Amino acid sequence: MPKQNPNAETALRKLGQQLRQDFAKKHPIPEKSLETVKDAVREEWEKEQKAEREKKPAPGDAKSPRREPPEPDQER
Amino acid sequence: MDDLIKLVRTYRLTVGLAERLQLVEEIFPLIEPAMRFFVFSAVRPPAAEDVLQEILKAIVTGMSKFRGSTNGELWGWCYSIARHKLNDQFRRQANDRLQPMSPEELSQLVEATVDNASLSAGDKHDLEYAMKLLKNSKPDCYEYLRKHFLFGLSYGDIAEEQELSYGSVKMKIGRCLDEVQSLVS
Repeated sequence: MPKQNPNAETALRKLGQQLRQDFAKKHPIPEKSLETVKDAVREEWEKEQKAEREKKPAPGDAKSPRREPPEPDQER
Repeated sequence: MDDLIKLVRTYRLTVGLAERLQLVEEIFPLIEPAMRFFVFSAVRPPAAEDVLQEILKAIVTGMSKFRGSTNGELWGWCYSIARHKLNDQFRRQANDRLQPMSPEELSQLVEATVDNASLSAGDKHDLEYAMKLLKNSKPDCYEYLRKHFLFGLSYGDIAEEQELSYGSVKMKIGRCLDEVQSLVS
């Protein structure tokens, strides 16, 4: 007895899944590819850190009201 | 795959470099195969490797700015980056390096998948039927079915790519399925 055809959507979905799985098996992720991406993450992180540092003023740079030396007359 | 959005959301909140790199190691293998399949169906090697690398770098370095909260949104965002990078590549390079995978090549790939010895008889029957559906689809339907079912693009992704509404893409795919199903049966 011939097998009944499945629902078209289910069959196509199954085919897509199997195809992607087979393709991934045939093309393992190259180690170099991950390393290149990690280098890009490091670069991005350094940029963020630099931007963060530039946003925050350094503790020594905090502006406190400068005290002017008193006028000689005022000291008397 | 449900873990993917969790990992990306964690990445977004992570400040330390070592922790970020650890997360990238977990996220990368979940994204790379789908992007590789998508790119290699549009661009031939060796250009495909370069574009793929650009796409993966853009996705990973852009993750801290990604604001979505579902896997669907995340994949839509990834495919949108991939499409932009592919378009940049199409503009930059000569056409002879950029012939996409032809329907015949895709068909060979599909046939190899169906011939896979480790499949059960039932699965093989289903896949053969699916292949028959694709072969009998009209060219415009073939494109929609290929994108949605073989590459796994959502209705939303296709709608964005084709500049159509979500509803029209869903309806179109539904019609294509009905049409080809009646042709094959």
